Amino acid sequence: MRGRLDRHLTPYLFVAPFFVLFAVFGAYPLLATLWMSLHDWHLINGDAGFIGLANYSELFADPDFWNALVNTLSLFVISTVPQLFIALGLAALLNTKLRGRTFWRAGVLVPNVVSVVAVALVFAQVFGRDFGIVNWLLGLVGLDPVDWPANVWSSHLAIAAIVTWRWTGYNALIYLAAMQAVPSDLYESARLDGASTWKAFWTVTVPMIRPTILFTTVVSTIGGLQLFAEPLLFESKGASTGTGGSDRQYQTITMYLYEKGFTLFDAGSAATIAWVLFLIVAVFALINFAVVRRTVASR
Amino acid sequence: MAAGGVFARRGVRLAAGLVAGALALTGCGSGDESTGDGEKITLTVATFSDFGYEPLVKDYMAAHPNITVKLRVTEFDQHHKQLATRLGAGAGAADIEAVEEGYIPQFRQSKDKFVNLADLGAKDLSQQWLPWKWEQSLADNGNFVMGLGTDMGGLALCYRSDLFKAAGLPVERDAVSALWTGWDEYFAVGDRFIGSGSKAKWFDGVGNIYQAMMNQTPYGYFDTSDTYVGDSNPAVKTAFDKVAAVANKPGMSAKLDPFSQQWNVGFKQGTFATLPCPSWMLGLIKDGSGPDNAGKWDIAKIPGNGGNWGGSFLTVPKQGKHAKESYELAKFLTSPDSEAKIFQSVGSLPSQPETLKNPAVIGFKNEYFSNAPVGEIYAKSGETLQPNYRGTKDADVRPVFGRALARVEQGKQSPADAWTQALTEAGKALGK
Repeated sequence: MRGRLDRHLTPYLFVAPFFVLFAVFGAYPLLATLWMSLHDWHLINGDAGFIGLANYSELFADPDFWNALVNTLSLFVISTVPQLFIALGLAALLNTKLRGRTFWRAGVLVPNVVSVVAVALVFAQVFGRDFGIVNWLLGLVGLDPVDWPANVWSSHLAIAAIVTWRWTGYNALIYLAAMQAVPSDLYESARLDGASTWKAFWTVTVPMIRPTILFTTVVSTIGGLQLFAEPLLFESKGASTGTGGSDRQYQTITMYLYEKGFTLFDAGSAATIAWVLFLIVAVFALINFAVVRRTVASR
Repeated sequence: MAAGGVFARRGVRLAAGLVAGALALTGCGSGDESTGDGEKITLTVATFSDFGYEPLVKDYMAAHPNITVKLRVTEFDQHHKQLATRLGAGAGAADIEAVEEGYIPQFRQSKDKFVNLADLGAKDLSQQWLPWKWEQSLADNGNFVMGLGTDMGGLALCYRSDLFKAAGLPVERDAVSALWTGWDEYFAVGDRFIGSGSKAKWFDGVGNIYQAMMNQTPYGYFDTSDTYVGDSNPAVKTAFDKVAAVANKPGMSAKLDPFSQQWNVGFKQGTFATLPCPSWMLGLIKDGSGPDNAGKWDIAKIPGNGGNWGGSFLTVPKQGKHAKESYELAKFLTSPDSEAKIFQSVGSLPSQPETLKNPAVIGFKNEYFSNAPVGEIYAKSGETLQPNYRGTKDADVRPVFGRALARVEQGKQSPADAWTQALTEAGKALGK
């Protein structure tokens, strides 16, 4: 009797912690945020009345929201695409018979474990207008100094550089793990057929690790759409309002959420942004999912 | 049946365990309950920069052996945002929370989350502060006292005497003060400074200059009945135009955001010659400039009228368990005696008439700033200054105009376009 009970219950108990944690930290906040987004909600004072979808219609009519959305997509593209290509290259290098392999492999992860605040401080120096290293280098080749945070393109480039620096190594390690699972006889036959290393990489390695590439694409997409810490810390310390520059030139959606919720204390609007962002991420995830299913099926 | 019973019982136990865990996480456990006399309690004081409380707190603990005081210091913006979320969540706030003047209008809308200090006798202390400082802490037509005033920010103008000398300008502080009465003259002196061929810029950035100008007006974006007048108050437009006219003029602005890392580098490298400096900023200037630049800074009169920039209040959030003890501690930390000590240790200007007459305050000189008689300079500015009224929605509107000037400074927009955009954005922020 007891044994049978245990057999029935034990599996549920083993999976329970995930579901409990998900309920507390996933489902509950999600639903509470939905509830808040339908109300006029002050950050401190709380509920000030049900207003239906008014927050949503206000948000979609707000040019600042669309500006933040475009900024987010722009930053996502110029930081994620080069990042994944560099990571692929790095992984291929780490997969060769390097001297001190473990050192290099551990080394690429260092940018990812450095505190993001320290990263922001360093990059603020690197991209400083008056005494920054990048402007100094530009000066060596006779170019004028750039006021990096002031313009759309320059601020996006600088932030993308920070994001790329932080996340390339992380993705490289994931690729490396996948590459090591590629059977070596495939490479041998490729070599016998006279393929160069370059050719073998594109015809053997990349197709073999395609599911992993798609996985990193999905994860990077979700992360990229929620980009927050890097651009926020790019703001000067005296004005960390989440506005993203004098003309919102690098305000992302999550920064816009931060500005609404924590600078202006408008939690209702912030919750609305959170839900819209959630839906955008869900759409992107579905697209990714469809692509994954198709490519996996095609193999 | 049996299976269901066992499962249900386990479920209950599991649920109970979870609830207990949740309680432990949120700190709702039965910690220190209400206090009998002599029972040990801990009070937390949360501030956003060095308020100079450490030595005072030691004295207080020595005099009150049953009380332990913990200081919690966070960065300025972070401090106020954390306070907001903790008030919203109903847990986590310190027993005493400092709130800066600029945030007071925002938090006044949530006064129910704070203890009304009038109930604990704060009104008896009203004469202790300058009248305007006391009034800033009030709500409900004076029936609600939100906090006890700490310092204030009388305005002065800090300048680099070595750069002045190189540019052929007067160096001595009285002679420098005599160079200007208003801002137009100050910018004209700037032209002379630029004409001398100095590599440094005249001031640090439009942010500080505009802030100082606005703080010299009796009211800015909102009139004293809390109506938005940002688009019609001539004082706003005048200040905006004056600053916009020089924002992108070669040699005038070092184009630095106040309090940014680049701003600190600017101090160290000496990239600008002047900046408006409330008394609490002296510490930042000293830290930024470093020991190499000791004796190069001096302090003169601010162009225009006296004005106030900054200063804080000590509030007692209602969620704390020791309102009375917290109030007593806040009272001690803001007493005339404490404020005088704080002025000498960290330079925060007392906001109390009695303290401003204290010889220890008036006679105090700041060695780093060429031995400037900072006590005399700031005490004088403090007695004459008129505070700037801040509307309830001031924090929604103020940054909009600052960003507009930043766009002019960055050469992205003409002053007229920046002004038009600012008015549109301000209207939007106010839901018009």
